[in-house]
Amino acid sequence: MEGKVWGYSSNEDNDDVDEVYLQNASDDEEDLHSTSSSLPKLQFRNVKSKCRWNEEMGMAEVIEKNGKMWVSTGIVRSGKIYTSIEETLYLMELGALHLVDNEDRSISLIEMYKKVAGGKYGCCWELFEAYRHLKSLGYIIGRHDVAWSLKSIRSSQKPVAVEGAEESNQQVDTSSKVELSISKLFGELKINDLKPDFDIYLPDSRFRKSSPGDPNFLLYLSRGHLPSRAEIEVLEKQCEGIPLKVCLVTEGRVSFFSFDKVELPILP
Amino acid sequence: MAPRWKGKDAKSKKDAEAEALKEPMSKIISQLQSSFVQSNTCGFLSDNCVHLAVQGEQLDLLDKACFGRPVRIVEKDMYWFQLTLEEAFYLCYFLKCLEINGRADDSPLSNEELWRYFKSKKEAFPCFYKAYSHLRIKNWVVRSGAQYGVDFIVYRHHPALVHSEYGVLVLSHDNDADLNGRLSVWSDVHCSTRLLGSVAKTLLVLYINKNGQNDESPLCLANYTIEERTISRWSPEQCRESSVLTFLDL
Repeated sequence: MEGKVWGYSSNEDNDDVDEVYLQNASDDEEDLHSTSSSLPKLQFRNVKSKCRWNEEMGMAEVIEKNGKMWVSTGIVRSGKIYTSIEETLYLMELGALHLVDNEDRSISLIEMYKKVAGGKYGCCWELFEAYRHLKSLGYIIGRHDVAWSLKSIRSSQKPVAVEGAEESNQQVDTSSKVELSISKLFGELKINDLKPDFDIYLPDSRFRKSSPGDPNFLLYLSRGHLPSRAEIEVLEKQCEGIPLKVCLVTEGRVSFFSFDKVELPILP
Repeated sequence: MAPRWKGKDAKSKKDAEAEALKEPMSKIISQLQSSFVQSNTCGFLSDNCVHLAVQGEQLDLLDKACFGRPVRIVEKDMYWFQLTLEEAFYLCYFLKCLEINGRADDSPLSNEELWRYFKSKKEAFPCFYKAYSHLRIKNWVVRSGAQYGVDFIVYRHHPALVHSEYGVLVLSHDNDADLNGRLSVWSDVHCSTRLLGSVAKTLLVLYINKNGQNDESPLCLANYTIEERTISRWSPEQCRESSVLTFLDL
């Protein structure tokens, strides 16, 4: 390095001056738009779908299906589609879903918000905000380890929380067995269970519930504290090689972080 | 992240890359090592750092290999030079090309004595040194990260040729108290990633696992292990845009 200019400490300072890389600039712009004066308006779709809320299952059963979103929303069991509370509420917010109870009485948005706030159906408010944020960007989101359909289990060989799925000849009680096991996952949200919350797929019109393939990443909602290195490791062990992302929701602001293991290369 | 070579245009950036390739850091460091061994270079303990007088070839090699910084010129062509504790120990213990005096009789201190002295000045010295040497052994250039609120910043080669890609924090594998509780809450993560992101660097955390060793002697270093993790923000908006493009390509 003949003729190199002295003062390499100033070369290091150049990182500041030379290129201020405005990677986060777009985030600041988002801030400007998310003031309280710009809440999304009440939406109404012309053709709504209809679902019946099932309190024991903690899910809604689809009665009338309308629209293209059903390709990537809801799980299929015995020929019927069931939606989680977050899926149900999301569609209701879009004005795409009419929800009723067992007596065919309409259930309002407010009632559903109260249900989510209670954390009783495997979801809580912050988890719903994370769901809504990604869903509105086109991502395909399912509860972690809940099969999209029984066909997908046969093709994937992975252990999944649906007992009795493989015995297709056992017509008797299959659906109730399935319902019972699902209710474990759609029941009380346990705060301290360290496991991924969602399986996430990139937006893809070719997505099929019968063979969804591996998710692109798994999402864990941070609850209260920053996960320690040990906790990240516990989560990763459940990811079977699929990337993990950690989501933080504070005051309606949803941010995502990766804590990936790396190995810096050995340089020449 | 791809390396960001320095230069005012594409051609000068390519030249910088070529220069780095022509003279890799490993080669520069071994030149420094032999030069220092031959001249029996000696440094002095100065509280929280180590000083030495250097000139000529040695001065040049210290600059090329990015160890220390010149304090001031003391005579024609002779500089008073300052090394951090980690840099000094690396030159003494790993490269075995520097000795340090600190006694009345001017005899050099042993590695054990240096280790204990440096530990007394900086409680987290064992972990910081392990992190420093881990990166240096892989031939990365390691410098102070104080101006970015991190422990180190690392470069693929000399800072005159390339921008640094990572800001490094040294943390404990198992939440030992000696590493000052950095990155303990979410706002720390937001803060570090945003600051580093604005200068196009990724946060790299080195988790040091002492594996139950007590750190009385530098021999414990051989049993320390390191887990490297990057912590970065992910933008679902940007990710989706690129995946939509891929889909349209089909």
